[in-house]
Amino acid sequence: MRARGLAALAIADFRERTRRPGYLVTLAVAVVLGYLALPPASSRYVIMNAGGYRGLYNSAWAGTVTALAGALWLMIAGFYVVRSAIARDQQTGVGQILAATALRNAGYLAGKLVSNLMVLASMAGVLAVTALAMQLARGETRAVALGALLLPYALFTLPVLALTASAAVLVETIPVLRGGLGNIAWFFVWMIFAIAGAGVPLGFGSVRASMRAAMTAQHLHSPAEFSVGFTQIAHPLRAFTWPGLAPSGGLVTARLVLIAVGCCLALAPAAWFGRFDPARARARVRRAAGGTGPVPAEAPVTDDTRHAERPVPRRLAAYRQLSTARTRRGPAFGRLLAGEARILVQGTSRWWWIGAGVVNVAALAIPDDLVKPVGASTALLLSAAWIWPVLTWSRIGAQRRENGLDALLGAYPGAYRQLAAEWLAGLVLTATTGLGPLLRMAITANGKGVAGWIGGALLIPSLALLLGTATGTHRAFQAMYVALWYAAVNQLAAADYMGTVLEHDRPAGPSPVLFASAGLSMVAVTFTIRAVHHATR
Amino acid sequence: MRLELVNITKQYRSGVRGVDAVTMHLDVGLVGLLGPNGAGKSSLMRIAATVTRPTSGQLLFDGENVVARPDKLRRSLGYLPQDFGVYPHLNATEFLAYLAAVKGLPAKTARTRIGELLELVDLTGAGKRPLGKYSGGMLRRVGIAQALLTDPDVLIVDEPTAGLDPEQRVTFRNMLADLAADRMVLLSTHIVSDVESVAADIVIMAGGRLLLRGAPEDMLRQAEGRVWETTVPAGALAQLRDRHPVSKMVRTSAGVRVRLLCPAAPIPDAVPVAPDLEDAYLTIVHDSAPRDRAGALQ
Repeated sequence: MRARGLAALAIADFRERTRRPGYLVTLAVAVVLGYLALPPASSRYVIMNAGGYRGLYNSAWAGTVTALAGALWLMIAGFYVVRSAIARDQQTGVGQILAATALRNAGYLAGKLVSNLMVLASMAGVLAVTALAMQLARGETRAVALGALLLPYALFTLPVLALTASAAVLVETIPVLRGGLGNIAWFFVWMIFAIAGAGVPLGFGSVRASMRAAMTAQHLHSPAEFSVGFTQIAHPLRAFTWPGLAPSGGLVTARLVLIAVGCCLALAPAAWFGRFDPARARARVRRAAGGTGPVPAEAPVTDDTRHAERPVPRRLAAYRQLSTARTRRGPAFGRLLAGEARILVQGTSRWWWIGAGVVNVAALAIPDDLVKPVGASTALLLSAAWIWPVLTWSRIGAQRRENGLDALLGAYPGAYRQLAAEWLAGLVLTATTGLGPLLRMAITANGKGVAGWIGGALLIPSLALLLGTATGTHRAFQAMYVALWYAAVNQLAAADYMGTVLEHDRPAGPSPVLFASAGLSMVAVTFTIRAVHHATR
Repeated sequence: MRLELVNITKQYRSGVRGVDAVTMHLDVGLVGLLGPNGAGKSSLMRIAATVTRPTSGQLLFDGENVVARPDKLRRSLGYLPQDFGVYPHLNATEFLAYLAAVKGLPAKTARTRIGELLELVDLTGAGKRPLGKYSGGMLRRVGIAQALLTDPDVLIVDEPTAGLDPEQRVTFRNMLADLAADRMVLLSTHIVSDVESVAADIVIMAGGRLLLRGAPEDMLRQAEGRVWETTVPAGALAQLRDRHPVSKMVRTSAGVRVRLLCPAAPIPDAVPVAPDLEDAYLTIVHDSAPRDRAGALQ
């Protein structure tokens, strides 16, 4: 594929994505991150801490701290922003048009990679401009060195963005990762990178060494601990002068290798990418089902298609012979709830239900004192039970828009009844998937555990409904809930919405009433959002 | 029973007026809404179906303004949008059962009605298959079935025959005419032949404005004396099309037989002919169009 064609593909995709309201939100977040990265000298929080020191706010420090923090942030948030490039081509039908051209798989995937990178780089660009503005606003030194400001972006941010852009392409071409599972898998990849491997993928090790050298030269105690990320501190940090990083050949090579690895990740799917051919997907399904017969060359389902092409009998004109059907107010709420529940779990495999069942049976079968402290095993199984449905919960509030039903349901009565039924369906799902741990806690008269369970059960569907309704997409809930759950299972008491963080055999987190109230408040906010949507429809 | 649109305007954030001060009413019977692409038909249909709120104006159902409180109309409404999605893993029966519950249809009635409607639109055999595996025409028929779920007093259908095969189009048009005997039916399309056989009341829109409302004879009257036929060499066709809207062309051994619209004889050997509804429609839309769009219509 010619470079001009590749550029056209990437630019068209870039334009499409940057003209969505969500893109402006991510740019606004980039500005906020830039602001936070260079806090006032008296501030009790930092983004980069060099063992009790921070750099004087010159261009090198401003560029480095925002570039590193931006790389970390864009690796996770940016991934969720760019990861639907191929899915959108599938949904809009553009993919089939492109598939009928001479465009090769590798060219198409390269176009998507470049487009993803352009979107992420534009966010990084906004961050760099904010860093410069903040350097001037803080006024510790007004000398602007653009090279020192931008070099960390080229060295640290860009390779991470290339890796993220590539991973987004890769995930979209692997069927099992195409849905929400890919989002969750990437979250854990990000956690590994951010915690265990920041020195290698982010290049933080070279920055740390350079700062140590500068501090030694200034006769300051060379610290052992460096950190990047939002941290609260007891005392404001002392400042030292850091002139910036002089990159070695080895560092530059390592960063180029990271970019090359990214490109390979994005282009490797050229070997199996199906070019939007539905027949290939059906073949996979048939193989999975053990079918051996030939796959028809076209049409979604052969039986249906034959059916569709058969002449329609004249009985269409017999409408008048149908039974009468008049609506009544109120009596259908139970069926509406059942319908919402069915929609919520539509397409869920039996293996999913078996998995949920195993967790719940285990919660009932495993004695409470098997693991110390008492109640820890139930807490662990509740944590497992309430991460299992994350993909299903994320549909709440979002799937009506994501499936294009707004035009149809917009003319139906009882919009608020629909919303209430949708929330209740989520609540039923939450209660069902957490039933085993609840019964175990009830049997062992663990009242505080039961209270924590109720708080969590009210919070989860409410959060999903709010985020789904507000954003119209399932991704916001997936990102936020997995982070919240991760914090809770890592014993962060403040995030203990399930009552599973135990201290002295008792829940250590905030009162369940707080989470229950937060959940109900979210429902109220969601109804308000729906009312605003209705008033401005 | 009456639906009135009073001075309805829809101005989008870009400043474009999708619908511009339209006033019309619907009584029992079928109204065919015609107009070129971008005329504002779908915007008007969405407003009439309470999906879109007008920037100004009133939507009155039996004298009550339903813009802010639309449920009164929605309970009596069947609406088929031009484009709509479905839940792909539900089958047609489950999907219609859900929509029946949203509409408040009693359970027993819903079961009976869904079975009958699936038979009516010839989807009984496919009623248990996931909607994600339906063809476009089948989904359209599901859309028709949902619009008729509650035997509505007001039926608003936007491009209902898109995706249907010719025989299905004919039967569905006939059914609409049948339904219009005792309810309001608003049928939007840009295909003149879709309305000419069933609508005694036609509305033409262009540029967001209502250009004409009347019987087919009223439309034909607008084009009387303005339709001409002539045969020209193939090489002269482009020049002729530049000057006059052409409604039909047939290639013959003697050249191209052209039917065109012009207030006076376009060339000396052109002969006047009686207009049909398509000629009349083109005349009305062409007369209303700015010069640049008039060129495009040709």
